[in-house]
Formats: sequence, C-alpha cells, structure tokens
Amino acid sequence: MTPGRGRRGPNLNWQIIVPVVSGALLAVALGLVICFAVALAGGDGAAAAFGLPAAIVLPLAAIGVASGRRMRSMPLRARDGFFAVTMAWVAAAAVGALPFLLHGTYTQPVDAFFESMSGFTTTGATLLDRIEAQPDAVLLWRSLMQWLGGVGIVVLVVAIAPATGLATQRVFYAETSGVTAERLTPRIADTAKIIWGIYLTLTALGFTAYWVAGMTPWDAINHIFTSVSTGGFSTRSASIAAFESLAIEVVAITFMIAGAINFSFYWAAMRGRDRLWPQAAEVRAFLLILLAAGAVVTGSLLLAEEGRDVAETIRGAAFSVVTAVTGTGYTTVDFDEWPDFTRLLLLGLMFVGGCAGSTAGGMKVIRVMLLGRAAVQEVQRQLQPRAVQVLRVRGRLFSEEVRRGVFAFFALYLMVFLAGTLAMAAFGLDPVTAASSVVSTLNIIGPGLGDVGASENFTAVPEGGRWVLSALMLIGRLEIFTVLVLLTPAFWRPNVA
Amino acid sequence: MRVIVIGCGEVGQHIARTLSAERHSLTVVDSDAVRVETAQSELDALVVVGNGASPKFLREIGVADSDLLCAVTHSDEANVIAALAARQLGARRTVARVRDFEYFGDDDSFARDELGIDFVINPERATAEDLAAAVVLPGAVHVEYFGDGKVAVAESILTARSPLVGQPLSSRRIVRPSFVFGLIRDGRAIATEPGHRPKAGDHVLVAAARGDIEPVVAHIAGRAQRVRDVIVFGGGRIGVPLAQFLQAAGGMRVTVMERDAERARYVAEQVRDITVLHEEGVSKQALLAHGVDRAGAFVACAGDDRANLLAALHAKQLGAGLCLSVVSREEFTPLVDALGIDGAVSPRLVTAEAILRAVRGPNVHGMYLLSGGAEVVEVQADPGCEAEGRTVEQANKQALTHVTAIVRNGRVVIPEDDVRLHAHDRLVVFNTRQGVASLDKTFAAAA
Repeated sequence: MTPGRGRRGPNLNWQIIVPVVSGALLAVALGLVICFAVALAGGDGAAAAFGLPAAIVLPLAAIGVASGRRMRSMPLRARDGFFAVTMAWVAAAAVGALPFLLHGTYTQPVDAFFESMSGFTTTGATLLDRIEAQPDAVLLWRSLMQWLGGVGIVVLVVAIAPATGLATQRVFYAETSGVTAERLTPRIADTAKIIWGIYLTLTALGFTAYWVAGMTPWDAINHIFTSVSTGGFSTRSASIAAFESLAIEVVAITFMIAGAINFSFYWAAMRGRDRLWPQAAEVRAFLLILLAAGAVVTGSLLLAEEGRDVAETIRGAAFSVVTAVTGTGYTTVDFDEWPDFTRLLLLGLMFVGGCAGSTAGGMKVIRVMLLGRAAVQEVQRQLQPRAVQVLRVRGRLFSEEVRRGVFAFFALYLMVFLAGTLAMAAFGLDPVTAASSVVSTLNIIGPGLGDVGASENFTAVPEGGRWVLSALMLIGRLEIFTVLVLLTPAFWRPNVA
Repeated sequence: MRVIVIGCGEVGQHIARTLSAERHSLTVVDSDAVRVETAQSELDALVVVGNGASPKFLREIGVADSDLLCAVTHSDEANVIAALAARQLGARRTVARVRDFEYFGDDDSFARDELGIDFVINPERATAEDLAAAVVLPGAVHVEYFGDGKVAVAESILTARSPLVGQPLSSRRIVRPSFVFGLIRDGRAIATEPGHRPKAGDHVLVAAARGDIEPVVAHIAGRAQRVRDVIVFGGGRIGVPLAQFLQAAGGMRVTVMERDAERARYVAEQVRDITVLHEEGVSKQALLAHGVDRAGAFVACAGDDRANLLAALHAKQLGAGLCLSVVSREEFTPLVDALGIDGAVSPRLVTAEAILRAVRGPNVHGMYLLSGGAEVVEVQADPGCEAEGRTVEQANKQALTHVTAIVRNGRVVIPEDDVRLHAHDRLVVFNTRQGVASLDKTFAAAA
C-alpha cells in the first residue's frame, strides 16, 4: 500500500485482507453453486436466485484468492486479522442474503441479511413464517450456511488456502479468540485441516444416524448440517417436533452435544495424549451442567404441574436444555409456556454455552469456570491480601492475561447485553422479549422468550431491531473482542501497530 | 581410591574434606584460581585450575585411572557433560549434581542406564525429602529410610511427657518392635547402653519397621500429634519440592511464604492446592499474621541461613510446633541447639551422604550422617563374610558397630543380641567413628 494513503486511513494491509475475504466468499459461492444445482434438478424456479449471485461472486472471489497465491509470507498485524475476519463474515452474510431477495423469500434487504447472518453465525433465528412453503434450494441454502459457519468460515479458508505463514495465524486467532484458540499442530493450516476433518466426520456420522432414525436423506442432510453446527434451522416450521420421533430427538441431542464439545478434545482423545487432557475438565463440566440443568428443569416442571407425564417431561426437558445450552435452537416443546422459573433458568443457561473451540455459542464453559474461580479468588483475597493466586483448571495453568481477559470478556458481554436490551426496548419490545431476543442472538441460540419464543419467529422485531440483532449475532459469534476492536477509535488511527 | 572432584564450592569442599579424611587419593578441579589456592592450603589433595567439562583437560588429570568422578560445579550442564566425558574416558563411577528437576525428574534410571551417570544428586530436593519426612512423621525431627524403604530410623526429641524419660533403656519394644540405639547429647551421637536414663530434651535415635515407626515415635515424643498446618518459610529450590512432598502426603494445609513476588508466583504455579504468601519480612508480626502460633510445623528453608535461623527462632517463641531449619554453612550449626530449634538439615551433608555412598562401593546402600562423625549405614552381609553365622552381639564387637535392624527375605527384624546373621541379610548399622574401616572387613566377602 502507498504510504500516502496509510497516513490518513487505518493503514490496513489489503493484500492480505482481500484474499481472506475472497476465500470466505469462494466457499459461499461454491455453496450457491450446489443450491443452484439442486434448484435446477428440482425445477422449482429458484435456480436464477442462486445462479446469478454465484456467477458474479465466484469469478471475483477466485481472482481475489488468486491474488493471494502470489503472496509469500508477509507481515500481518493484529488489526489486519480482526478486520479481515469481520469483513469476511459481513461479506459472506451479504452474499448469502442475495438468493433470499432474488427469489422473493424476503422483499426487504434487512430481512434477507438477518436470515443470512443468522445462518452463518449458526444462530438459527428466523423471520420465516411458513418454512415448508420455501423451495428445496432455499431450505438447503439455510442449512448449508449454518454448516459453513459452524466451525468458522475463516478456519475453512486457512485450511484450504495456500499457507501464508504468520498471516494465516493472525486470521485464525482473530476468528477463534481468547481462551478458545488452541493450536493442535505446529502449522496452523494443519490445525485447521484437523478441525475440518473432525467436523466432516461428525457430519457423516450424524447423517447416517438421522437416516437410520427415520428421516429421509433430504431431511437428514439438512438437519445434520444444522445440528453439528449447533445452528438450529430446520426444514419444518415446527422444527424437530414435526418428526414426532424419539429416535430423531435422541440423534439430535447427541449431535448437538457432539458439536458443542471442544474439537481439540476429540483430537486429544484420538491421539491418546495425556498432555491435552485438561480439555476433559471442560467437557466434564459441560456434561455435568447439562445433566444438572436437565434434572432441575424436569423437577421444576413436575412440581409446577401435578399429573404431568414423567417420561414426556424428561424428554421435553432434556431436549430443551441441550438445545438452549449448545445454542442450537431446535424446538420440540414450547418452553415459553413453562413456569417463569424454568424459563429464566433456560435463559441463564444460554449464557453458558458450549465448550471453547466448538461450534456452540455463549460465553463458553471454560470461561465460566475460569470466571467463577477468579471471582472466588477475589473474595479470598479480601481475607488474605498477601496470598499469591494462580488460575488453574485441572492442573492446567492460565496466565494472568487470561484472568484479565476473562473479566474483561464478562464485563463487555454484560455491557453489550444491557445496551442491546435497551436498544430493543427502545424499538418498542416488551422487557422479556427485548432481553431474550438479545440473549438469544448474542449467544447465537435462536429462539428466545415472549414474542420471539420457541413457537414464534422474529417477525415481531421491527426493522431497526433486526439490524441490531444481526450485529449482535456477529459480535457473539466472533466472541466480542474481534468486532469491538473495530469500534475503537485507536483502530482507525493511522500507524498504530 | 582415586577420586576426582570437579567444582570447589560449598559442596565440593565438603566432599573433598570428607574424602581426604578417609585417606582417598584426591584431585580437586575448579575454574577459579582464588578458590583453588584456598582449597590447596586446606586439603591434602591435588588441586588444579581448569575446566572440568573439557575432555582434553580430564584426560590430562588422569581421569582414565580414576575410580570416581564427582561433578559438583554450580552448572548442571557442566556437571552432566563432565560426567559423560569422564565415563567415556574410563572413569569407573561418576556422580553429577543436577539441581534442575526438569532434567531427570524422580526417576534417574535414564541417567544411569542410558547416559552412564551412576548417581544424579539433587541436594536441594534430597534436603526437601528429609524435611518432609520429619514433618509427616509426628514426633520426629529427622527420618531416614533404609532397606528399600522398609526400615525407618528416626531422630526424636524427648519431651517431659515422654515415657522414656528417667527409665533405663533396655527393651527392644516400645509399643511395637523397635530399638532406641542412640542418643545425641552435646552435639555428639553416642550408642545407648542398658544403663542409660534419657532426660527430657535429649534427642534419641530409634529404628523400627516402616509401618511401626509412627506409633513408636509418637509414643517416644509423648503423644505427638499429626501436623495439620505447616508453614514453609522460603519458596526456593528446597521450598518448592518440600511443598510438593507435603502436599502429596495429604492431610495438611501447606502455606509457603516467599519474599520475592515473582518467585512467589512461580511457587503458586508449581504446587497445587497450597497457599502462597508474598511476605517480605521475617518479623514476628508478619509471622503471627499468618498463624505461625497455630502451625504444627514451621520449616525455614530460604536461601539465607541467618534468615532461616531467625525465622525458626521467632516461630518457636510464638508457639509453633516442630521448628526445622535449613542450615547450609557449617559455622551456623552450633546455633541450632543454642536457639532451641528442633532440628536442622544441611544440603551439604545430604550431598555428602550421597557421594560417600558412591565411594563406599556397591555394598553400602543407605546412609545417614549424624553430627560428630557418627553415621547410620545399610550394608549387605556377603556370603562367606566374617559376620555370617555369628550373633549380633559378636558382630557388633568385631566391627565396633551396632546392628539396629535386619531386612531378611524382605521382612524387618529388630534383633536381640543373640540373633544370628545370615548371608544376604541387609543390616542397618549404627557407627560411631571407630567403625568405619572395620565395616567392609566384617561384612564384605573375603577378597
């Protein structure tokens, strides 16, 4: 870049940003091509809606990626990484919205963008009233977006793109920030490949399981795309409830949990390495949370209403807890009809989320564990001011930087939540709907309570609110810091490293 | 025996002095000319300036004909290189001091079998082990284990409540089979005789099977209680392993006090489930603020002897239970008794124990050096040795030693005088100075 421009602007390294964003768009475009083929085969008139954007984006993205092929390892600063990743997601969501507009699923750009962002971030919030009315290609597109977004679009780029040394590393860490980032191999590209390998394996297993459990291959492929990515889009308005099958619910629960477990845990388990076992502590805590929450929800439901069928209650409670904690957002029962205590408990659980380094949303179990431990230590410090405290989970040490990071993360999370809730209230939503819509999008869950509850969709939210919620999904998916960095004045000041 | 000692610091000097006193042929090497000059004037040995890790230099000083090379410089790496080189050049046995636990960990088989270093000694860690053993065993100020850990020899202080006080020592049984074989009075260890009547304040030495030692010592010390709170003063090279041992022993709340903030953090990172305090002072107020008065044990193991003694003295006066201190420099040792501190451990002595074990050859296994030149050693009775078939009493007379315990076929026997010795018995033997030379004569096979 020219020095002249650098002095005025934020001094970004476009030579790396363009290939990264293009790489993400290339993946999106390939997805569009698949849906184009499905639309052609189905003859449902949606072919043009996919063919047109694919025809435009595919060559452009290819050129952008190719520009990166010439590039050797070049210096990339943290800010380029943050910018590239955020742009990649925004661009993907923008392109992903095009088929909805072109086909006429939505007439308003904001609605299409909301749906698309909800897809890529694996939130699963929708504005569609009657999902079954949409052509197959559109339904597949919704599932495919979630599947692509599941472990991260940029991870895919890093896995497939030619190695660019430090540059890819910056980008990788910008997408999976903080305690989440885990390097499994010396080369970050290999780590990305492993993550995708695990993801593909889980997808293949889940597809088979759904099929065996009684879904058609078409439903199976759509649902495994949105289960293992903890996305939550379904091909039915009634979501998983439409299948009325215990077997399918069990498969869904299994793969929602599988997707919400730290992928490096699988890697460690496969290699049988003791060194990586600290992840097991997080996984154990995660499963314990699910069990405890399931028990409490079941108990509260049975207490609240005499004569409830116990087996049915357990079934509904288990599914709802898993779908809320993992941030998937499928529904089988309308938990908005449950007692207030249970509703609020579910809302709280949404904040916890799944394991770090998984496809799930929320604050992540490990952060909650660290936060709890650090908070207890602060209390102990009042008694013994001279005590030296270290942050440790199952023998694994976390640096003081992580302690600060976890507190900062929590503070920002709360602020974003409060600001978002206020904004939604300003758009005229009632408190429960306002708060739960923010909880649901920030934690990339899907359904909330009240007017955005399990049996509703997000049409109750006015247009401005849809933009806000779209932004919250992105903030939540990129774990706060990456997006918020772009909002600081320092980022836009020139010549700051 | 031809011995080469590389490194003439505290440890090197002590080893050299001990070996020199045992009339070995000694070559001492150090890179510092001033130290070499001082050492030359004090030792009956060849002292030379040079780099002990250099193969060329080692060849020049005749490593090929040496029986033992002890590498005890301040650098772990230099010690390991020296030992490796010496082994290749023909030294029969090698000993290296390696203070960094990261290199070989608890299992020195890699060093021994793969690298060919016969002994890896870590004085600080060994010191920590000794201190931890004393804290874990209620009533003891020092414990050593022999016979693959089957026999324990403990040093214990008699309190006024002790049932031994004023009674003649005769029985080989106190609660369980055991033998009070030694007394430490005025800084000298002596063998007990049937007529001895111990006083309160005496240190006694007692041997028993490992499983029996706890009730025996608790009884001797007058119903000693298990330590529940222990304060470790100093989180250095001794403090960290000590805290680890104590934590692993379980049932204790361990608190480490460390004056350096960064080091304190390191300690907290290294040892789980303990309290680490960043405390700069050694003042009574500071100690009291952290509950020294309620502590069952206080162990001072900071880098500075003076600070250790002061801290231990404060702790004792404030009412802490067992007060132990690390004393590195010989000149401070007399202060331990004078200040009323229960026990002291010296990394120097611990190192010498390990080195002497190597010098004495394969027949001698364990070793515990006591003040005043006495020692407890473990020897094996070779087939055909003079002691075979004789009674304990006869063997004691001949070797001028005191057999305190026997490990026979894996079982511990606390012998009466008329027990006969068998070949392959492993004997835990208490020696006052005279015994040293006669040990091999009595228990080793005739050459």
